Amino acid sequence: MLFIVSLPFLVDGIVSEYTNYSLRRQQDKVIQIVQKKGIEHYLQGDNSYGSYTMLKEEYIALEPAAKGLPIDTIKTAQRVVEQDTLNYRILIHTFNFQQKPYLLEIGKTISSINQYNKPLQRIALYVLMGLIAITLLFDLLFTRILIRPLGKIIKSKLTNRKFPFKDRFIPVKTSTYDFKYLDESLILLMEQINEAFDKEREFTANASHELMTPISILQNKMENLIGDEQLSDSVVIRIVEMMKTLDRLKKISNSLLLISRIENEQFVKSDTLKPIDLVNEVVEEISHRLEERELHIKVKLNQHLYLKEVNRDLLFQLFYNLINNAIKYNVNKGSIIITDQLSESGYLIAIADTGIGIAAEEQAYIFDRFRKTNLNKNVGYGLGLSIVKSICLYHGITIKVNSAVNVGSTFSLLFPAGTYTETI
Amino acid sequence: MKVLIVEDEKTLAYEMEDFLKKAFYVCDLAHNIKDGLEKMEMNSYDFILLDLGLPDGDGLTLLPKAKKHNPDAAYIILTARGNLEDRITGLDLGADDYLAKPFSLLELQSRMQAIARRKFNVKEELLPLGDFKLDLQKRLVLFGDNQIELSRKEFDLLSYLFLHNNRVLTRMQLSEHIWGTFADDDYDSNYIDAHIKNIRKKLNTWAPADFIETVRGVGYRIKK
Repeated sequence: MLFIVSLPFLVDGIVSEYTNYSLRRQQDKVIQIVQKKGIEHYLQGDNSYGSYTMLKEEYIALEPAAKGLPIDTIKTAQRVVEQDTLNYRILIHTFNFQQKPYLLEIGKTISSINQYNKPLQRIALYVLMGLIAITLLFDLLFTRILIRPLGKIIKSKLTNRKFPFKDRFIPVKTSTYDFKYLDESLILLMEQINEAFDKEREFTANASHELMTPISILQNKMENLIGDEQLSDSVVIRIVEMMKTLDRLKKISNSLLLISRIENEQFVKSDTLKPIDLVNEVVEEISHRLEERELHIKVKLNQHLYLKEVNRDLLFQLFYNLINNAIKYNVNKGSIIITDQLSESGYLIAIADTGIGIAAEEQAYIFDRFRKTNLNKNVGYGLGLSIVKSICLYHGITIKVNSAVNVGSTFSLLFPAGTYTETI
Repeated sequence: MKVLIVEDEKTLAYEMEDFLKKAFYVCDLAHNIKDGLEKMEMNSYDFILLDLGLPDGDGLTLLPKAKKHNPDAAYIILTARGNLEDRITGLDLGADDYLAKPFSLLELQSRMQAIARRKFNVKEELLPLGDFKLDLQKRLVLFGDNQIELSRKEFDLLSYLFLHNNRVLTRMQLSEHIWGTFADDDYDSNYIDAHIKNIRKKLNTWAPADFIETVRGVGYRIKK
């Protein structure tokens, strides 16, 4: 900026430097000629010599000077040439020739000097702009190269990471200290998150496992007790109530244990199956509930498609829970429609019901453990969808819910490319 | 039938013993691997119920040694670990069945009977049930020469009640046997009631099925 603002002055400076230089050159020439050919070459007997160009742009004057101070200067001054008063840049120089002092004046009009000024300024401006453009380009390229590790850090550490972070953390190669520091801090942070997650996982597994033995004992004791013929009916009924409560405890522990086993990847994903077969099996398994609620179920799935590298038991559980929910939260005589769709983004199975729906503000929480939303009382233990979620996560399935209150809910499962095939 | 229960949780072992004794099994108890091996050397068993988490080691390591002493016994693994690899390893090592804790004693007994039928080739005559006969191997209910059409679940229900005859089974126990322990599954007695109703209806067209008793507030029983 500064450069652009000062450009006219700079150009002025350069031009006047150049003018001064050319004036000096002319002076040298004149003096050379005088040395060679004598002063008479110019004066030719006259007292003084003056010569100017047609447009009075330049003039040379030579005359005897008064004895005294030698003058040697370049200045801007006015001279009257044939009734025209013009501004000149004038070189005034005194020199001695054959012991006589002479005064030499060489002048150039300011306007002729300024002639060069404009184009010069323009050229300078173009060059300048070119330079700026090149600099910018270089800067961009260079920063991009410099900043490349940052992109790598963001790509490898922040985006596209699925929790839990399973793969090892590979430090990004960089020689920049700050990037290294950032990368290391991120790795440290992720390790801490992993550690906390592992601890929670371990706790869930241990806690539910430790619960199993006392639950076993209680259950077996009650079973033995209930077989006792001597007990009165009322006592038996109470024991049955206790067994029901214990059963709830058992199911909660089992569910927690299942989730932690999925999260600990204790299931082998090596089955290949047709989703239509699996869904039909689930429907068959659950048909008594459909009948009771007089629900209409329609399964329209691709006959020729296989899911591969999945765990059959887990997928069974996944569909079981989703279809079971579709029954539980449906209205009597409602319907459940299971459809699929093959697209570029993957294979999508949608389970739609005509049930009570989920309020928009609740939808974000339905996969959380133990959170009951708009359920009828005493239905479910709030773990069914958590199990669904962990099974999806384990298989790389994206699950989404689309729901409107009193209209129904649609759960869609997106199997990514590579998890299904049409031929085995 | 002789049973060895290898289980370090003593209370649990006693309950199993208690239950199996009533079902006319003869039981021995061992609370660790060492005891278990000693008892196996001294006696021969029909069933060995093996807990995996024992104080002096993993029950799975006991399995191959145990098979040397009691090659003909049926082995059932009982574990609270319940992970898949244990199950696979156990079955690979020659276990006959696998039950995850907490399990129902009724389930244990019905598994033992299934193994007995399969493994010991117990040639069961057709089992009488009122005026009907039950073929557990072919899963048939017969009235004279007539076969009664029961659904898979209905047969499961009837045979489970039959197996534990004279004992009241709660709706919960029945539904767990039939539908397993699906997580987050809400126990609902209606389904059992509906199935029993169907069974009664189907049987009643041939002969009275009054051996199926409803025990108010508790569940059902087959009276023999």
